[in-house]
Amino acid sequence: MKRYIRGTAAALATAALAVTGCSAGGSPTTGSPAGPGSMAPAEPITLTFWGSYGNGGNSAQQEILDNTLIPAFEASHAGVTVEYVDVPYDDLLQKLTTSAAAEELPDLVRADLGWVPRFADLGVLVPLSDVMPDFQQLADATFPGVLATNYFEGKYYGLPLDTNTRVLISNPDVLAKAGLDAPPATFDEFVALGNALKGSDVSLFADGGLGAWNLMPWIWSGGGDITDAELTTSSGVLDSDANVATLQMLVDLYTAGQISSGIIGNEGAVSTSEGLPNGNYATILDGPWMSGIWGDQFPDFEPVYSPVPAGPGGSVSVVGGEDIVLTASSKHQEAALEFIRFTQSEEFQLALVPTGQLTVIQALGDKQVELVPGLKVFTEQLGTAKNRLAITQGSEVDGILNEELTPAFEGTIGVREALTKAAARIDELLVG
Amino acid sequence: MRNHPPSPEFREPAPAVASRASGRAWIRRGSATPHLFLLPGFALFALAILYPIAQAFRMSFYDWKIVGSATSEFLGLENYLRALGDDKFWVAFGNTAFYAVATIVPQIVLGLAVALLLHGRAPARPLFRVLYYLPVVTSWVVVSLVFRFLFADQGLINYLLGEVAHVTDGQTSWLADRWTGMIAISALGIWKGVGWSMMIFLAALQGVPAALMEAAMIDGAGPWQRFRAVTLPAIRAALGFVTIMLVIGGFNVFISVYLMTAGGPAGRTEVLLTYMYNQAFGNLDFGYGSAIAVIVTLIVLALSLIQLRMFRNPDGGYVE
Amino acid sequence: MNRPAPWPLTSLRLLVLVAGALVMVTPFLYLLSISFTEQSYVLTMPPQLIPDPPTLANYTKALTVQDVPRYFANSLYVACVSTLLALVLSSMMAYAFARFRFPGRELLFRVLLVGLMIPAVMLLIPQFILTKYLGLLDSHLGLIVFYVAGSLAINTFLLRGFFESIPAELDEAMQMDGGNAWTRYWRLAIPLARPGLATATIFTFFSAWDEFAWALTILNSPELRTLPIAIRLFAGSGNNAVQWGLVFAASAIAVVPVIIVFLVFQRHFVQGLTAGAVKG
Repeated sequence: MKRYIRGTAAALATAALAVTGCSAGGSPTTGSPAGPGSMAPAEPITLTFWGSYGNGGNSAQQEILDNTLIPAFEASHAGVTVEYVDVPYDDLLQKLTTSAAAEELPDLVRADLGWVPRFADLGVLVPLSDVMPDFQQLADATFPGVLATNYFEGKYYGLPLDTNTRVLISNPDVLAKAGLDAPPATFDEFVALGNALKGSDVSLFADGGLGAWNLMPWIWSGGGDITDAELTTSSGVLDSDANVATLQMLVDLYTAGQISSGIIGNEGAVSTSEGLPNGNYATILDGPWMSGIWGDQFPDFEPVYSPVPAGPGGSVSVVGGEDIVLTASSKHQEAALEFIRFTQSEEFQLALVPTGQLTVIQALGDKQVELVPGLKVFTEQLGTAKNRLAITQGSEVDGILNEELTPAFEGTIGVREALTKAAARIDELLVG
Repeated sequence: MRNHPPSPEFREPAPAVASRASGRAWIRRGSATPHLFLLPGFALFALAILYPIAQAFRMSFYDWKIVGSATSEFLGLENYLRALGDDKFWVAFGNTAFYAVATIVPQIVLGLAVALLLHGRAPARPLFRVLYYLPVVTSWVVVSLVFRFLFADQGLINYLLGEVAHVTDGQTSWLADRWTGMIAISALGIWKGVGWSMMIFLAALQGVPAALMEAAMIDGAGPWQRFRAVTLPAIRAALGFVTIMLVIGGFNVFISVYLMTAGGPAGRTEVLLTYMYNQAFGNLDFGYGSAIAVIVTLIVLALSLIQLRMFRNPDGGYVE
Repeated sequence: MNRPAPWPLTSLRLLVLVAGALVMVTPFLYLLSISFTEQSYVLTMPPQLIPDPPTLANYTKALTVQDVPRYFANSLYVACVSTLLALVLSSMMAYAFARFRFPGRELLFRVLLVGLMIPAVMLLIPQFILTKYLGLLDSHLGLIVFYVAGSLAINTFLLRGFFESIPAELDEAMQMDGGNAWTRYWRLAIPLARPGLATATIFTFFSAWDEFAWALTILNSPELRTLPIAIRLFAGSGNNAVQWGLVFAASAIAVVPVIIVFLVFQRHFVQGLTAGAVKG
């Protein structure tokens, strides 16, 4: 026990020495803050950058990154090599966790925006608002909603990298068969489409779970929320009448066989990305990257994009995306900050737009729609989209929602009871 | 090795026992030689396995913070007590027990049955041996993905049960509920493991004394009687080994669940190790995760000791 | 057993065996079938066992775009080196346990067996920190060290019983001729233990070839990846856009060497089990 503590202390001391030695020793990458592009490191350095761009069978993003963007950065920053490592999204969190434990994180991480507070809390990230002289300027250019996901206890630990949101995507053939020439725009039309599809082997809707990412568009559009604005309580908010009505609508559709069992976590259900083009499902909620996946795998499919069906609360979707963060263990902080600046450039932001990564720079919004007109729905939806809870235990909240609401979908307990139980458990997280 | 008829003891064959009794082949106590033979391997084992085990054990008594700079709070037995009062732990425990029972028994029965069918003059014996053993040597990642695909709502299993055999409506959502999900996961476990136990039993069957078998036949014993009276006692030790290894494997089930259902829906197909994994890597609760891991190890250890006693050879075989 | 069985029994036996073999093989056939199917036809009902239209696109993509040959070579290298080292170390340990009597022998042996029972996933963090201090992160050596360590228990267990079944008289004869312990181990025990070593080879090679969680944890560089990681990458995340054709094409490629190794060593395999630790 004592020996272990000594070991840890020794390790810490070594790490501290390494850090201070690095800056005091006049390593070319530290010292006085260099202006953008003015670096000329004496010896070549390599930045490692982890993300899951290539995940989900969408190789287009990684190809642009590897073949266009990184070479462009390296060309303008002599001596700096950027090594991008693709990690499957499902395994990235585990890899980050083990690496954080051993202080072996890469220099830069493209982190899901839900993860930033969590790793900031662990103390493994560098607050960009402290170390970047031009942080405010860069931050002001981004959409405030996305920027907010980097905020933790008074500091910003990252900058938005890309954003997205979920909209309603429909199969045009199924709509036509049901006699519709436009996708359902409201909760009522959504339910009506479900009724029209009764008796056919097409389900109205499919989703892959009951987490916040899945549920919040329905909850917000229904006029409800998960906690109060100050994050003090979920009880009385999550189990409000508005939420009961919204969830009851989904549960009724589920009971009538109109929603695929993928929503309660059935891994055997036809996946949304296959079921929609194949005509198993009439609609799904998903992001702008789907066009890239379908273009590759279902070239004949022409999806119809429209806003999330509007309920009493309007049409409100959920903000998704990724932030770029700098880790505390990075030995090349200045070069890494240079890369972060590069990610905020027009060149970087627009290059990834055709692959379904929406820009986070407000001023580029129009240009991106010019580039890919199909993104209009997404940019408009983003205008009203909201963030998930800004707490470190986002994955616990997802777990609670899945666990407590699944029985309601299966009909073993009532919707209100399920919401009340979930709210009580989320309260505990808010207190802690 | 064919010249030496295998003896019936568990892992302690006749020649060695005999020589130990006479003490002739043994190097005297105090010689450094055995330690030189042991040293490289055991040093590696101590470093790469024992030390991490000790660390994991230590972690189970703390609210463990993964980052070195944060202080971990000593909790004593709190993580263990928490597990005992945690409903989800018990769901995972129940599923693991289900998996263990549902896979161990069929693997033993089917493995032994196939071995008996293949033993002796079975036609095309090497071919069958390979076919039955194929799943054993195939990656868990690969077969888990294949089985997730087979048990999908629109998968082959539903098609065969519904459209071909007409025993179900073909609409079973196998991975959408606790027991159907566990059945699918167990089916994979059995399918992948039968070849292994078959192989061990095939080997063991070669040690069934032919003379005894013939004597039983002359006495007019039927196949079942011969199996009970001659074969079963002769393969007792192999049976013990297979059971212990399967219990260890059963309680360590992880990848198949992780890749087939991910513990879903709503954590109902969670097994002990996926639950542990989620606590540790999902919620960063490494202390609690370690406590669960220690509990799993203790269960396996206890079951193994019980079995060693059960299968212990009456004439002083394995356990000393 | 020594008399030929009457033919109806033989054919019944054959029938049962064939039926069973069919169950064992069907998932593999399905895997192969999907690997030759285009993505948009993968989920058709009724399931197609013969791809229509068949395509080589998945294999082409796996072999060219996705660099599967490199992952394959990595897996092969790691599995071969691990197997070799594991066999040397564990046969030495097994020999010590089988042929020497020394204080704490059974205790040490049982400590080794506990290594079989601990869930490997829980050791990820301590092992990862250890690997960092050894400077072996993101290297094949980091895989090999832990694959070898992880296979020591089962192999020693297996080989110990095997060495014990070698008649002690042979050892004594050699000892009288002046053979020291190393000679007896290397010249006598190892050659006689060939079937047991074959068994251990198969076990070790497969577990190294198959390993996923540890490789995922310590490897970062794409060019170091092993096949299971690559396959998992293709399978993507949960519910989203799994390219089954590509996953199964890569899987089919991964299964091939396993089958070859098994076919090569299987002649010794049953013998190894027979004479070794697990025999009845």
